[in-house]
Amino acid sequence: MSPAPAAALLAGLVAAALLADRTISVAAIAALLLLVCLRAPAPRRRLYLIGALFSGLGVFVISPFLATIGSDVLWTGPTLPVLGTIDVTREELHVALFQGLRLTAVTLAFAAYALLLDHDRLVQAAGFARRSVLTIALATRLVPTLERDAAGLVEALRGRGVEVTGVRGRARLVSPLLAGSLERALNLAEAMEARGYGRPGATRSPKPSWGGRERLALVLGALAVVVGALWL
Amino acid sequence: MALARVEQLSFTYPEAEHPALDDVSLELEPGEVVALLGPSGCGKSTLLRALAGLVPHFHGGRFAGRVEVGGHDTRRTRPADLAGTVATLFQDPEDQVVFTRVAAEVAFGLENVGAPPARIGARVAQGLTAVGAAHLAERRVAELSGGELQRVCLASVLALEPQLLLLDEPTSQLDPEGAEEAIELARAAGAAVVVSEQRPDRVLGACDRVLFLERGRIVLDAPRDEALGWLARHRPAWVPREAVLPAPGSAQEPSCRLDRVAFAYGDARVLEGFSLELARGEIVALVGPNGSGKTTLAKLASGLLEPSAGSVTCSGRACYLSQDPGRYLVRERAEDEVALAVGGDLARAREALRGVGLAGFEARHPRDLSSGERERLALAAVLVAAPDLLVLDEPTRGVDPERKDELAALLHAQASTRATLVVTNDLVFAGAVADRCVSTAPEREAALV
Repeated sequence: MSPAPAAALLAGLVAAALLADRTISVAAIAALLLLVCLRAPAPRRRLYLIGALFSGLGVFVISPFLATIGSDVLWTGPTLPVLGTIDVTREELHVALFQGLRLTAVTLAFAAYALLLDHDRLVQAAGFARRSVLTIALATRLVPTLERDAAGLVEALRGRGVEVTGVRGRARLVSPLLAGSLERALNLAEAMEARGYGRPGATRSPKPSWGGRERLALVLGALAVVVGALWL
Repeated sequence: MALARVEQLSFTYPEAEHPALDDVSLELEPGEVVALLGPSGCGKSTLLRALAGLVPHFHGGRFAGRVEVGGHDTRRTRPADLAGTVATLFQDPEDQVVFTRVAAEVAFGLENVGAPPARIGARVAQGLTAVGAAHLAERRVAELSGGELQRVCLASVLALEPQLLLLDEPTSQLDPEGAEEAIELARAAGAAVVVSEQRPDRVLGACDRVLFLERGRIVLDAPRDEALGWLARHRPAWVPREAVLPAPGSAQEPSCRLDRVAFAYGDARVLEGFSLELARGEIVALVGPNGSGKTTLAKLASGLLEPSAGSVTCSGRACYLSQDPGRYLVRERAEDEVALAVGGDLARAREALRGVGLAGFEARHPRDLSSGERERLALAAVLVAAPDLLVLDEPTRGVDPERKDELAALLHAQASTRATLVVTNDLVFAGAVADRCVSTAPEREAALV
């Protein structure tokens, strides 16, 4: 399928997850997106799925301690300065689950976009805002690029007999990874400028034409927004 | 009429103490092939960037003099507007890739310069076919080997059909056959070509004229034959040498043994039943075409990978030097970076830095070093551990001939303390440094020796 309608369908599902009021509806959308992500090769999808799981779990675990809603108290903790008495209510847990699932659905939609869509064709298909679409496509590459760079750094350290273990050992790689990313970004910007990027009068390769599947994906994307707003 | 003219160009990078280019003047004629030689950090890449307009537009700095390309003054014309007239192939292919698939990557420049949409597909195919990479058109860029990626980048610039082609070490990741083809392709494109190279044997045979830079100044600008005489008299390390490879032979009392090893990345099998023995005191060169499994074998020998079949038995400590010196930039001081492998022993780190000619660089940030200096820092970072098995993967990439001679001398001087495996496409270096030569393409072994 052409990536533009597929991206529109994913955007429709994200909108539905954000507009839906019921936990079960958001859970169903998250489950559907998880099934989509599972079509990607296992080594590539691993990092994205872990990210989606932990971001949702993070919201579920932390938000009950910060929210102050509901009267059905399940647990009462200590009283802390600024925050007051820490307690967890049934209503807070419910809201936390709902928001956690929402965030999981959004991150899974991004994962599906990053893992399964052909970003090159997405940029080529962009009828307007081509620069923005290219920027998003380049930003999407950051995750796998950082993963590859991190693996390279760890391998070079192992090649010197230095094992990278534990959170602290890995945390030490963050700074060189970011510095490397900045250096790479500068080199890429220079290469893009040398290849005429930003020059007026640019053309683009002919776009592949859309068939029935592409049109259906667009309709389903729009339908997801409407259904999410009215019935979910 | 000259295609490009450089008049009294001096340029200093922002915050640099010394100029990268100092009073450089030259003219380039349409269709001529110019070899740009000189030691690491002498200003070769800066001169190419000045011809592409990237200096000063992209880098800033102090710029004096005038550069004119195809009738455009580069100070008044943005590099993007020069694209198409000028095309640049940068040193590191990984840092210039914009798209995820090969065909889209090659099309990117054509779209930017406004090529007619109906012609883009044909020109992409033409560019890829010219570099022997037509079969890669639908592949993902991330799945390509370094050599394949370098071919794709070359196709990207050739597809633009520029008047001036600037190639910054275009053969650093190619095997000898691939390198020869790349230079010939550039010549056949009909454009004026300026090729910056650290391996003079790869470019001097195909060029019309030679420029030699030192400390930002042109010390030689002469036709090839005259230049060869000058190099022989004044810079003998730069005279092309014939690769004389030692025989394959076999190890006496091996300290490391790879026995019928096999390895595959996913479904792609790269090694099958390969055996290799290494003995203390010897230096073995591992050669072979791009994609034949040299790096994989090096990683198996140093214990970074486990074979899927066969066995690897090595005694003592093994150290592996990666192809990419960018992987040796973890700490913020050069001496701390080197000391990582010896538990923070700064005295040993300083000694190792001295050994590779980086005395005085101890407190420098590794990212502030030039590419040649980074290569030497990476070398110090593995040599400091005094390993029993030293595995060097393409240690001469981006290293000038004088430094290569020094590296060969250093490896020879320390050879008795360890077994050394050098993975390289640089057959001249392999011939100079190795006691034995092994190929990952055994059918070509006889031809190599």
